[in-house]
Amino acid sequence: MTTPRTALLLDGRVDDDATQALIHDTLAAGMAAAGLAVDDWTLRDEKIAWCAGCFGCWVKTPGVCVHKDGGRDVAARAARADLLVYLTPVTFGGYSSQLKKALDHLIPLKLPDLKKTGPDTRHPQRYDRVHDLLVVGTVPRGQGQGGQARTFRRLVERNCLNLRPAHSATGVIDEGAGAWEVRVAVASLLEQAGVAGAAPAHLQDKEMVA
Amino acid sequence: MNAPQSALLLVGSPKASGSSSESLGTYLLEELEARGLRTRTLHVVKAVRDDAGVEDLLEAVAAADVVVLSFPLYVDCLPAPVIRALELIAQGRAGERAPADAVAGQAGAEIGREQLFAAIAQCGFPEAEHNETALAICREFAEAAGFVWAGGLSMGAGGMVDGRPLREARGMLRSAVRALDLAAAGLAAGRPVTDEAVRLMAKPAFPAFAYRFIANWQWRRELKKQGATAPLDARPFA
Repeated sequence: MTTPRTALLLDGRVDDDATQALIHDTLAAGMAAAGLAVDDWTLRDEKIAWCAGCFGCWVKTPGVCVHKDGGRDVAARAARADLLVYLTPVTFGGYSSQLKKALDHLIPLKLPDLKKTGPDTRHPQRYDRVHDLLVVGTVPRGQGQGGQARTFRRLVERNCLNLRPAHSATGVIDEGAGAWEVRVAVASLLEQAGVAGAAPAHLQDKEMVA
Repeated sequence: MNAPQSALLLVGSPKASGSSSESLGTYLLEELEARGLRTRTLHVVKAVRDDAGVEDLLEAVAAADVVVLSFPLYVDCLPAPVIRALELIAQGRAGERAPADAVAGQAGAEIGREQLFAAIAQCGFPEAEHNETALAICREFAEAAGFVWAGGLSMGAGGMVDGRPLREARGMLRSAVRALDLAAAGLAAGRPVTDEAVRLMAKPAFPAFAYRFIANWQWRRELKKQGATAPLDARPFA
């Protein structure tokens, strides 16, 4: 298993929820412990205009958003990442608007061409780099198997059909989960996402074992 | 439920005007109007721009018996400003429902009435199936925000609408028009969208291979027309 070298953490939190903060910190620490260079991006602090749907990034300045704000940086930073990590409160079974305002700017990573891929039509990738994908969402306690969580998992599956990651992991964690629960879940997710070595080192924390 | 008296169209395209989502939604709204409903249209991107717009959005949603959201698929999902609007609507309605529960029979009488929420999703791929998850999200929103889910219509090859009024494109898009006619008849009577309407909306109007061929040719034509700064497959961040 090859360990990714760089990770882009798209932090789509909308408030200061303690569980999400814990997940964020645990993810960042786990990736760093595994030797990844982590580009940790708090999206709610960032001015990113809504994607205008103008397709300028396909036919005017191919590969680059025509608008000069944080939205342009999304494709640049994602294109260079081996691992993409999304953190979000599960929002009606999808991503928060804070996360999605960035994800809508991933379109320049695709070519506009329509190509039959399996049973469906998809856009080919602009770059050769294969990204791994790790997505973590939080739901109110006890709703980890509910309708919104199921829809969320389906959404990530669809993202994977387009992104075609070598490794992918989806986690739905209850709001109010404790430190141990979060650390075990994140360690497992990192391993599934191809981050070799993160879990053992991270779980050997003395505080956790105690 | 009683026959609805009013309908609100939320246009979810980030384009200010001339979007395919607006074309589809406007046709449905006109059909509802023809059946006696008062109608109103709001563009979501404008509405979430400032506090006044948000207030207007929440009031318009609260006043409508039928809310129809028409949107394009963005990265397997709804566009970010539409999600923002749904977050705000759900938060606003949660705030309204709390006092209604506490003081039964007062605010609850108005707030507690049934409101239908329906959605139209269209994507640039020839297969309508790409929209399924986005419509599932709309359904989850409707249930979370206290609406009655009235169903979702899913359309592939949305580029064929090309922002034209649907009445001008009847021949090529006759299945979509028929689907919207059926949906309007149902919604005007307070009923959800039927399976037949869903089937007709998703019915391909054009062979997928031909759609892909034409679309790929059009992208290259547009590249020349725009005087692009680089080839179509440029890799500026490699």
